[in-house]
Amino acid sequence: MFKDSFIILRKELKRMFTDRRLIFMLVILPLIMLPLMYSFMGKATKTRQSEISEYTSRIVVCTALGSEESTELFLTSLAALNTEVETINSQSIEETQERLTSKDVELLIVMPDNVDDRLLENEVFDLSFYHNSTADFSDFAFSQVELAFAAVSEAVVRERIIEGGMSEEILSVFTINESMPAESYDLATEGSIMGKIISMMMPFFIVIYLFANSMKVGLDSVAGEKERGTLAILLVNQVSRLSIVLGKMMSVMIAAIVGATSSAIGLKIASRYLIGMYSDTGEAIVEYTMTSTALLQFAIIVIPLAILISSLVLIVSTFAKNVKEGQGMIMPVYLAVMVMGVTTMQIGDTPPNWMRLAPLFNSLVVLKDIFMQTAVWGNILFAVATSLLVSAVLIFAILRMFNNERVLFRV
Amino acid sequence: MLRVENLSKQFKGSRGSSAKTVLAVNNLSFQCKPGEIYGLLGPNGAGKTTTLRCLSTLIKPTSGNVFIDSYNVLEHGKVFRSKIGFLTSDMKLDGYFTPDYMMNWFGRLNKMEDDVIQERKSKLFTDLQMTDFIHKKIDKLSTGMKQKTAVAISLIHDPDVIIFDEPTNGLDIVTSKAVTDFLVSRAEAGKIIIISTHNMTIAEKLCHRFGIIVEGEMKEEGTLSEIIEGSNWDNLEDVFFSYILPGGDHV
Ligand SMILES: Nc1ncnc2c1ncn2[C@@H]1O[C@H](COP(=O)(O)OP(=O)(O)OP(=O)(O)O)[C@@H](O)[C@H]1O
Ligand SMILES: [Mg+2]
Repeated sequence: MFKDSFIILRKELKRMFTDRRLIFMLVILPLIMLPLMYSFMGKATKTRQSEISEYTSRIVVCTALGSEESTELFLTSLAALNTEVETINSQSIEETQERLTSKDVELLIVMPDNVDDRLLENEVFDLSFYHNSTADFSDFAFSQVELAFAAVSEAVVRERIIEGGMSEEILSVFTINESMPAESYDLATEGSIMGKIISMMMPFFIVIYLFANSMKVGLDSVAGEKERGTLAILLVNQVSRLSIVLGKMMSVMIAAIVGATSSAIGLKIASRYLIGMYSDTGEAIVEYTMTSTALLQFAIIVIPLAILISSLVLIVSTFAKNVKEGQGMIMPVYLAVMVMGVTTMQIGDTPPNWMRLAPLFNSLVVLKDIFMQTAVWGNILFAVATSLLVSAVLIFAILRMFNNERVLFRV
Repeated sequence: MLRVENLSKQFKGSRGSSAKTVLAVNNLSFQCKPGEIYGLLGPNGAGKTTTLRCLSTLIKPTSGNVFIDSYNVLEHGKVFRSKIGFLTSDMKLDGYFTPDYMMNWFGRLNKMEDDVIQERKSKLFTDLQMTDFIHKKIDKLSTGMKQKTAVAISLIHDPDVIIFDEPTNGLDIVTSKAVTDFLVSRAEAGKIIIISTHNMTIAEKLCHRFGIIVEGEMKEEGTLSEIIEGSNWDNLEDVFFSYILPGGDHV
């Protein structure tokens, strides 16, 4: 019996792995998709960042009567920034505002009158910052100048405190983490930040490719044969229906696992770009490596999951009259699985209990645990058991369909 | 010897759909001896395909039975499958493989030894004049070549009973002739052959016995002379039309 399954499997595998178009779809695409996406995203962010830092912001300052000296003081704080400062008087305000609207300048600062005196008298005064939030660099110039001016303000306050005979320590209540070296306060294990990022995305991509590849192979496998009329010639052979189902099942499963593995490798490659994207937050990001236990757990969970997904696809394929009908029927299932993937991506470290109980969902949650290296064997085995149980029910149903002429010769 | 006894097949309309119950085959009986070619004739929807599917274990008769020697289709499906070769004209083989590969594959599924497969293959390839294209992908073959391939595949295990549903449908006269000549040679070798067709010219030349089915019922049964003698006509086609054309003797 199993010999027949293998004869069938061998033909399906030959079909899959000698057809260049199929190899591309099943193996190459899941492999390059993520690295491509991330290198693109990484590049885009980088270019944007360098564009901003290279940009010379055009800033216009409007002085006022009795504010000349303090304006000078504020403007010196801009010296370190990449800016081009133009000074005007109050007659040109309106004209400059128009230039802001037409994106000719990024920022207009209007000083109030008598700032020089008000500074000395400790009186609060209001600066007007005009910007244009639709211009590319206007908001950036705004916050840049705001920061520089805040430093001036702090220096002035410090001076006032010292003049008043108080200690400048009055300015701060506490500091954070100044007494420790940077490595000692982030207690995440090595690579676990990367693990967190990867564990968030991995279950999603794995389930997507398990499904996509199952569909690519599985729909043709039965519905396609029905459509072409070749299923009949297989059925009048001496092969048992169980062998046919098992043979097809294995081929779909292999396609699924190949896809999942490819995309896992792809994400590993992509993690290099991820490191690039997140590294300037200063956190200890180390390249992600899976321990051998995690790899073992991965294999243990992915194979039953692949069996489950292939059975889902095959039952639709068996019921459908032709590939097209099959595609239509599988779409809602595919979308539901995608939603499940996204949900697992977004839940925190402790998923609700029902997710651990629901078939398919629990495999996704466990996959996430595995990449975080926090998986518990009990959960893994429970997920495996539910996947296998549901698959067994599905395979039983598929066999029933294979013995049901109303399904096989549906008109 | 193949015997069909009071075969009926009813398709139930599926629940919730408007499709109603169809009696596709109604109490059909006929038999066919080794060396004979039996032609099932009938217009579209007469029940030919349904009958042949019942004979090849693909669908279960609602009532009645089919026998090959002492075996019957209801109880001995597996033996039946080992004894029959079945083919429908609307079958499209997977174009990705070559005829040679498909023959090996089906041979193995039929549990044949490799050397037996090789032997059988070369005989079929020569008989059907296929040797030129057995290593080409099926995709690249003409309709006729594809049909020859399908014929060869369905007969890889050298079955005693050959059941072909419209085997010459869509073929040019040359390929048609190749296929029918091949069937004649198989009959001469003592096989039981049942074909369905609506091509009267081919049927008249090829078949030894005929059954004319209309709406699932057997209207005429016997050899050409038996059928013609009992009618007002001198050829099969006119007898056939008398059952289906408006104003015909039997309509
Ligand atoms: N699986 C099925 N379910 C329901 N009805 C069916 C099914 N298969 C065939 N029928 C119906 O049974 C009747 C006989 O169909 P069948 O295919 O046997 O005719 P046929 O003689 O082969 O016709 P054709 O010359 O067009 O091939 C038709 O009315 C058809 O609609
Ligand atoms: Mg038909």
